[in-house]
Amino acid sequence: MEFFTKFPVMDRTTLMEMRKGIDFAFRDFSRAYGDGIEAFFDPLLYFLVGLEKLLINSPWPIIIAIICGLAWLGSKNWKLVIGAAVAFFLIGYFGMWKDTMATVAIITVCVIICMSAGIPVGVMMSRSDRVERAILPILDMMQTIPSFVYLIPILMLLGIGKVPGLIAICIYAVPPIIRLTNLGIREVDKETLEASTAYGATTFQKLKTVQIPLALPTVFAGVNQTIMMALAMVVIASMIGVKGLGVPILRAVLNQYLALGLFNGLAIVALAIIFDRVAQEYGRRIQKHRGFKK
Amino acid sequence: MCICVSMIKLKINKGETMNKFKKIIVSSLVAFGFFAFNVNANAACGKLVIAEQNWASAELMANVDKIILEKGYGCEVELVPGATMPTFTSMNDKGSPDMNPEQWANAVYTPLKKAVSEKRLIIANKAPITGLGEGWWLTPGSIKKHPELKGMTALQILERPDLFPYKEDPSKGAFVGCPAGWGCQLANANLFKAFEMEKKGWVLVDPGSAAGLDGSIAKAADSGNTWFGYYWNPTSIVGKYNLQPVDFGVPFAGRDNWDNCITLPEQDCANPKPTAWTKSEVNSIVTANFAKTGGKEALSYVEKRVFPGEVMNGMLVYMADNQAKGSDAAIEFLKKHEDVWGKWVSGAAKKKIKAGL
Repeated sequence: MEFFTKFPVMDRTTLMEMRKGIDFAFRDFSRAYGDGIEAFFDPLLYFLVGLEKLLINSPWPIIIAIICGLAWLGSKNWKLVIGAAVAFFLIGYFGMWKDTMATVAIITVCVIICMSAGIPVGVMMSRSDRVERAILPILDMMQTIPSFVYLIPILMLLGIGKVPGLIAICIYAVPPIIRLTNLGIREVDKETLEASTAYGATTFQKLKTVQIPLALPTVFAGVNQTIMMALAMVVIASMIGVKGLGVPILRAVLNQYLALGLFNGLAIVALAIIFDRVAQEYGRRIQKHRGFKK
Repeated sequence: MCICVSMIKLKINKGETMNKFKKIIVSSLVAFGFFAFNVNANAACGKLVIAEQNWASAELMANVDKIILEKGYGCEVELVPGATMPTFTSMNDKGSPDMNPEQWANAVYTPLKKAVSEKRLIIANKAPITGLGEGWWLTPGSIKKHPELKGMTALQILERPDLFPYKEDPSKGAFVGCPAGWGCQLANANLFKAFEMEKKGWVLVDPGSAAGLDGSIAKAADSGNTWFGYYWNPTSIVGKYNLQPVDFGVPFAGRDNWDNCITLPEQDCANPKPTAWTKSEVNSIVTANFAKTGGKEALSYVEKRVFPGEVMNGMLVYMADNQAKGSDAAIEFLKKHEDVWGKWVSGAAKKKIKAGL
C-alpha cells in the first residue's frame, strides 16, 4: 500500500550529494575556463561600451535626429517620425536620457548578435528536417526556462556586468528570429523554386537570390519579435549589473516608488512601440510588390 | 523581488482577515462554552505572522522563531517572504507582519524611531546576533596578489584604483556597492561622493541584486582576482570566502552626518563628510499586535533570543554547504545548539520544544 501513497523518491543525502557534485563540477569548470571565456567576449564588451559611450556623449539633438532619420528610412511615415521625436524628447525631459541610451545600446548589440547567430541557424533548420527536429526543443527550452536559472551559471562564469547580461538577453530573445527564418524559407513558393532550378541555379544561388529575398518579410517579423523580447528582458538583466532603464525599475520595486517605476516602465514601452512600428512599416513596404494589403 | 512584495501584500490581507475570522470563531466558541479547554490552552498565544527575509541568517531566525513559538508557546505562526525595506514599510503602515526577527535599523532609523514613540512598533531585542556589522571588505585573494594591501585602511586603498581594474574601463578601479533599492545603496553612493572616489579614479559598480553581489565575490574569490566592495556580517559569504574587513581610516563623523545625509537619496545629501560606517544596529522588532496576541511569554522569549556571532556563522556555512533551507537549518540548530536556545525559553517550553522536534 505504501508504494501507492508514497512517491518513490531519491534518498535525501544522495540527492544532496548529486546537487553538490553538479555545483562543484561547474565551479571547477568556471575556475579553469572562466578567464578564457571572459577574454573571448572582450571584443564584444569593448564594442558595447564604445557604443554606449558614443550614444551618451553625443549631443542629444544629433541622436534624436539620427533616430528620426532611421524611423523615416524604415517607415517613410512622417507621423511615426514625429512620434519618435516627441517620445525621445519626453524621455530626456524626464531625466531618463542616460539610462535610455544605455538600454538602446545593449538592445542594438543584442539584436545584431541575434541576427548574425539566428539567421544562419534558421537557414540550416530550413534545409534539413533532422536539424529542425533537433533544434526546436532547444528553442522551446530557451523560451520557457526561467531566466534566473541560467543567470546563476552565467554569473559564476562571467561575473557581473554587461556581457553576462547581454548573453542572458540573447538566450531569451534569439528563438523567434530562428523560428521565423526557418518558417519563411520553408514557405517560399515551390514553383518559383522550380523555375530557378530550371534556369540552372546552384543551391547557394537559389538560397541567396530566391529563398532569402522571398522570406525576408517573415524574417523581419522575427527581428521585430526579437527586439520586443530583448526589451522585456532589460529589467532581469539589470539584476546582474547591466545599466539602463531596468536599474531604476528595480529600485522602484524594492522601495515602492510608484512614479519612478512608472516613468521608466513607460520609457521601455515607448522604445518598444517605436522599434515595433518602424520595423512593421519596413516589413510592410518590402512586401508591397507582392500585393499584400494592410 | 516584485513577487516577494506582492506576496507580502497578499499575505497581509489574508492574515488580517484570518485574524478577524478567528476572533469571531473563538468568541462564539467561548459564548457557547464549547471546547473551553482548547480555547484556554491557546489563549496565551494566537496567530502571528513573521517576516522571513530573503537572506540566510534572517531565514534561519524566522524559522527558529516559528518552531519555538509554535511548539513551546502554542502560537500559530505563518512565515511570509520579505526584505528590509518592503517588510518595514508594511509593518509600519499596515501593522503586519507581526515580527521582523532581523531588522537592519540603519536603513530605517528615523521612521523606526517615530513608530516606536507612537507605540506602533516595539524593539523587542536590540541585538539578536552578536558581532555583526556592515562595511567594506577585501577578498583574501586581493591581499595575496598585492601584499601591500595588507593592513591598509580604506583611505589608503582608495589611492590605488589600479589594483582593482574595472572590466568595462580598465583605467578605473571598481568598487562594488549595493544593489539598487537596498538601503545601503544610498549610503555607499554618498560615501563614494564623500571620499571623492570619482576624482580618485573609481567607479561605483551596481551589482543589481543579491545574487549579483554574491556572484561577483564568489567569482573573484574563486579566480583569485581582486575585489573591493560592500558586504556585511554575519553571512556565509564572509565565513566561506574569509572576506577581510577594511578599516575606514577615518572616525565615525557623527549621527547628524549619517542620519541626515549619508542615508538619504543623493539629491538630499549635498555635503556628505567622510566617515566610518555607523555601528550596525540590528533589532528584532514586533508590532503592538504581537505583544497583544503573543502574550508576555512570547515577548520575553524574543527579548532573550541572542545568537552568538560564531554560532550564527557556523549555521550559515552549514546552510551554504548543504544548500539547506531556513526550515532545515532551524531544526539542525535546535538539535545541535540546545545549550544556546535552552537559555531563551522557560523549562516547560524547552521540554515541549524538544519533544516536538
